[in-house]
Amino acid sequence: MQQGEGAEAQVTWEDQQNINKFGRLNNRFHELEDEIKVAKEANESLEDASNELILSDEDVVRFQIGEVFAHMPREEVESRLEKMKEDASKELERLEEEKESVLAQMAELKKILYGKFKDSINLEED
Amino acid sequence: MAASTSSSSVSSPGVTERRGIPATSFVEDVETYLKQSGLDVNSSLSFLQERLQQYKIVEMKLLAQQRDLQAKIPDIEKCLDIVATLLAKKGTGEALIADFEVSEGIYSRARIEDTDSVCLWLGANVMLEYSCEEAKTLLQKNLENARASLEVLVADLQFLRDQVTITQVTTARVYNWDVHQRRIRQAAKET
Repeated sequence: MQQGEGAEAQVTWEDQQNINKFGRLNNRFHELEDEIKVAKEANESLEDASNELILSDEDVVRFQIGEVFAHMPREEVESRLEKMKEDASKELERLEEEKESVLAQMAELKKILYGKFKDSINLEED
Repeated sequence: MAASTSSSSVSSPGVTERRGIPATSFVEDVETYLKQSGLDVNSSLSFLQERLQQYKIVEMKLLAQQRDLQAKIPDIEKCLDIVATLLAKKGTGEALIADFEVSEGIYSRARIEDTDSVCLWLGANVMLEYSCEEAKTLLQKNLENARASLEVLVADLQFLRDQVTITQVTTARVYNWDVHQRRIRQAAKET
């Protein structure tokens, strides 16, 4: 936040709480961007794995559990992958929704804070 | 302008500290705050800067703890996955065949027979044998504890960041008040 030029508007506790909330939301926004990136990569990997599985014609597939590759029948691997893809896609959706909500709340707070403090406050990314 | 209607210049949100992190009090009116603390503007600003540094140090520590927990949780989940797989195989009488890493880049095949127990690494060079069911219960409890600790840690960090923001805003307000005062004195001199 920049320092204003002798601002006239007094900062009340409510203003401070709004500023704090904006800070928290901004942090959460950046965390979400990172989490979404990871979730997208996970989704892609699972998609690739699924495609590889279709292309291969082996009956026994080596499926990673923990640190080892367990030998599993193809059908079991298919159903496990399907479940993992579903979970990953739901997770990505949840994260995107949270991001939208955070952005909306930040926009609201910007309106309020710029409304009161105008040039004396800077809420943009540097 | 300085005649503020509030009776005290410093208002507390009711929380003075959280798990060892001291809360910083909110300043209602800069002039009253400076009078009450008896500090001049520069001393006040350095005091606030010092506070900020202390908060930064605590933040580093909490972030490190958060990273550790965030790494621990997927590990526990992987362990649970293996135990669940072993439990699922139990009834069938089939062995679990798995390829595992012997050394970097070198893999070998293992045949894990139907088993009632697993060994869990507890840390500090200690490994303990548990029945599959007990192992599952223990791992689940560890997972829940790790998740709960992470939640508390995240709340701590939020509280800390709030205190940092309040301190930064107070710094700006003290500075601005000083600039304003200088302007008034300058204007008074010129008339």
